[in-house]
Formats: sequence, C-alpha cells, structure tokens
Amino acid sequence: MREKATTLYIGPQHPGITGNMMVRVKVEGDTIVKATTEVGYLHRSFEKLIEKRNWLQSFTLLCRFCVPEPDPVEESYARAVELLEGREVPERAKYIRVLVLELARIASYLLWYGGQSASLGLYTIGQWSVGDRNYILDLFEELTGGRVYHMYIWPGGVRRDLPKGFENKVLKTMDYLEKRLDDYDDLMFDNTIFRKRTQGVGIIDKEKAVEWGVVGPPLRGCGIRSDIRIDDPYEVYNKLDFVVPVEEGGDIWARALVRRQEIRQSIRIIRQVLDNIPAGKYYNKIPNPQKWALPKGDAYTRTEAVRGEVGMYVVSDGGTHPRRAHFRGAAYVHAITLLENLLVGENISDIAAIMNSLGTCPPEIER
Amino acid sequence: MEEIKSTIIQRIKTHFSDATEKEYPYNRVDFSVKKETIPAILFYLKDEMGFKHLSHISCIDWLEENEFEVVFIVWSPTDKIKVFVHTRVDRENPVMDNVDMIWRQANTYEREMREMFGIQFTGLEAPEEFLLEDWEGPPPMRRDFDTEAYATNTYWERPGREDAKDIRETIEKRSGEILPDFAKKYTR
Repeated sequence: MREKATTLYIGPQHPGITGNMMVRVKVEGDTIVKATTEVGYLHRSFEKLIEKRNWLQSFTLLCRFCVPEPDPVEESYARAVELLEGREVPERAKYIRVLVLELARIASYLLWYGGQSASLGLYTIGQWSVGDRNYILDLFEELTGGRVYHMYIWPGGVRRDLPKGFENKVLKTMDYLEKRLDDYDDLMFDNTIFRKRTQGVGIIDKEKAVEWGVVGPPLRGCGIRSDIRIDDPYEVYNKLDFVVPVEEGGDIWARALVRRQEIRQSIRIIRQVLDNIPAGKYYNKIPNPQKWALPKGDAYTRTEAVRGEVGMYVVSDGGTHPRRAHFRGAAYVHAITLLENLLVGENISDIAAIMNSLGTCPPEIER
Repeated sequence: MEEIKSTIIQRIKTHFSDATEKEYPYNRVDFSVKKETIPAILFYLKDEMGFKHLSHISCIDWLEENEFEVVFIVWSPTDKIKVFVHTRVDRENPVMDNVDMIWRQANTYEREMREMFGIQFTGLEAPEEFLLEDWEGPPPMRRDFDTEAYATNTYWERPGREDAKDIRETIEKRSGEILPDFAKKYTR
C-alpha cells in the first residue's frame, strides 16, 4: 500500500536560519518530495525608505539587511556611491575596511558554528562560539561604538581612526582564536554525529552550480575556486596574500570544511593588514549631505560575504537622494530556487542542517 | 582586458543590430537593447560567451519618461568581466518576456518585479504572492506610490486609542498620575 503524502510547515521560527522564513514540504514517510519556500514575514521596505533619504542617511537601514554580518552591505553601498561620484578613498581607510570586513567574517563564521551544530543537536559548540564571538564584538564596540550594527564604513572612508592600542588588542584576540579553533575541531569536525549527519547530505551538482547561482562557501564546497576578493578585487585584497580553500563533494560536510579553513585565512589577512597599514588620512570629507548631489548614472558593486556574493546596485538621477538602491543577497537565490530543489529526496530531520549550510538569511531576501 | 571587452562588443553588435554599447572603466560593459531582444541576447551571452553567472536583475521606475528600466547583470567567471544589459519597458503596458528558462533563479527576481513594479512577464509560472500578503493597492515600489497617503487611507487606529494620541496624556488622565516636568516637555 502506498503511503499518502503529508504537508508539513517548517517555520517561520526554527533552528535552521536567523530570521523568519517558512518551508512548506510535502513528505512521504520522512522523505521530502516537494519543498516550497514561503517568505513575507520580514518585509520592511528598506529600498523604498532609502529612496526617501539622502545619500548618507540610509546607513541606519543598510546594516539591518542582514543581522549576522552587516558590514559587507555597508561596504558595497559606500563603494557604489564612491564609484558614482568618482571619489577617492585614502589607502589607510581601505586597510581599515578590510580589517572590519574580516573581523565581521570571523564573527559571522563563529555564529555559523553555533547554528550549524545546533541544527544537528550539538548545543555545546554554540555556547562556546557565541562566547568567542563576543571578543570580536568587544573589538567592534571599541572601534565603532556598536556591537552588532556598526555604520562605520561610509562614503569617503571610515568614520573614525583606529583607537590607540587597538592593533595589539586585535592581535591578542587573533592569537586566542587561533588556539581556540583546535578545540572546535575536536568538538565539531572530529565528532562522529557531525560527520555522519553531514557527509553525503544536501549535495549540490558541481556541473550546474554556477548556472544555478550558487556563490560563496557552497560553491567552493563543490570544488569550484571562486571568490570575489580574488576574481573582482575590491579595497586592498589584491595586495594581500591568502588562499581560497576549496573542497570536493558539494555536501554539508564540504561546505563546513571550507568555512573551517576560511576562518584561518581571515586571521592571516588581519595580521597582514595590521603589518602593512599605512599612516595618514582615514576619511576624505564629503560635502554637506543635505546638498550632496551625485552625478547621473548607475553603479554595481559586489562583496564577498560569508553567505557568498552580496551586491548593491545604486542608481542616481543627479539628485540628493538615491533613485534606486537595490540589494542582491546570496540567500535570495540560495534559500528559494536552490533550496527548493536541494531538499527533494532528503530526510525531514536534515532540513535545518541544509538551510544553515547554505547561509540562509531571510532579511536579505525580503529587505 | 580591453581586448576582451572590444571582442565582446563586436560580437554582440554583429549578432544584435539594435544593441548600443557604453564602455566603462575596468571590467564593465553595458548594452542597451529593445525588450524583445532580451531572451536572445541573454541566451547568447550565457551559452556562447561564457557569462554563466546571473549576478542581479534590477528595475528602476523612470516616472518622468513614463518607462521602466530593467537591468540584467551577468558575470563571466572565465573572463572576469561583468556585462549589464539594459532595456526599457513602457509604463502603461508593462509586459516583457520571462527569462527563467535561462537561469531559473530569475524566477524569484521576476516574481518580485511583478509584485513591486507591476511588470508582467509572459509565461512566468509562480504563485501570485511573494512578499506582500493580501495586497490590494498599487505596486508599492513605483515612484508615484505615496506611502504615507496609502497608510492613512488604508489603516485605522486601534479602537480605544481615539483619545490616546499621546500616551503620556492618557496615563495622566486615566490613572491620575502626575507626570514629571521633563516628560511634559515632549507632550504635543
């Protein structure tokens, strides 16, 4: 006798993601036969609001596009505005931006450690990694005044210079984290449960990955070396020496291994930045923001975030307000068309793990 | 880089007579085409020229010109070049061809454009609702959509709050509690 398919509603609140999003799955037994992503719980119309603000006022909204890692969004918008105007950024500001982006990357990966392991029932790792993330948030608090939302990178450079003695604090934190990462290896990557639940689950087809819009760690987990920091370099990434890790397999395990290595590369980048950071100006002053009009045109900038490629398409009609600022998030593709296809044939209990491994972030889908 | 860019421009211009190009510094090339050419030029870019990655689809409302501008941004992982394809759609009759058979993730972008700008894509198969639930107003991302007027006309104050324009006055009135001076300063 054939089992009848049942419809289950996974979400809008569940351990797979940060934010509200629902996946409606049709299951036979405990195997998924159809999955549909339903969004609409988080739409705040940021892009409409940005059109009503001047070029500088939108930063309070930009950082809320994705809570775990807001800095790439700010950076891509700031860079798009600079491209439109043709404004130069001091070399020191570019180094500070890279420092902030890499610190944000580590903080976000530590949060991912917690999310990915909690989706498989391993809760201790999350307790540790969120605690370790706080050390980076402490650095952000000292540098920018905010722990989670920074509004620090803005057109023309960054808002403040590095505080006195900040470099040493960053280096100490990096030394601590580097030792600490071995503990995570013991707890997470050597864990039999983690291996068994992730190997061979949620496999992305390597041949189709680029066409399907897979970016970031999921794409590198398919064995394709692709990173915007190398392919379409921005700020000073072309002057820094780092490796883009690649793993074969395309499953959750491969994606996890890519992220594991990327934290180490970020620490390496931060050390280089602190060694090579030049003295000088950190900000080229912009005109009075109320009267600051940008020339007519459009600009599109892309940044490598932990979720993959994020981008900002900014259009100016020659006025003091953006005509359009359209954000491209990695989850916009990952969590809808990719996830719907990836879940078919998988077990219900793996939904949260698969979603987390793709870096699903609903606020950047709905904006 | 410049050589690859000029080859791209040459190939596109020989295949698509209506394409006009605009050059930008570094790794960006722009083309403007008629909306009927969009599926063909995107197919050509993807299958013949290696622009495998669809980076973005965006829409801009040019209210003064009575047109929508739809922009497709594609990226070539081999040549490291991004191509922008611009097209204009009439605002009164916003219909254009669906391209989700080229990149299936285009489906999501098209659903959002249909909802937020009211552009209809012929042959698009997707649920009607995307971000907005039970929405009956005009497409909200259009420039002539007045957010404040729509909110005032559509939504109403919660019953019992008619007298409570300012919460501090209500507290004073209902509970008899006397407000400190600093709180009164903000009272309307």
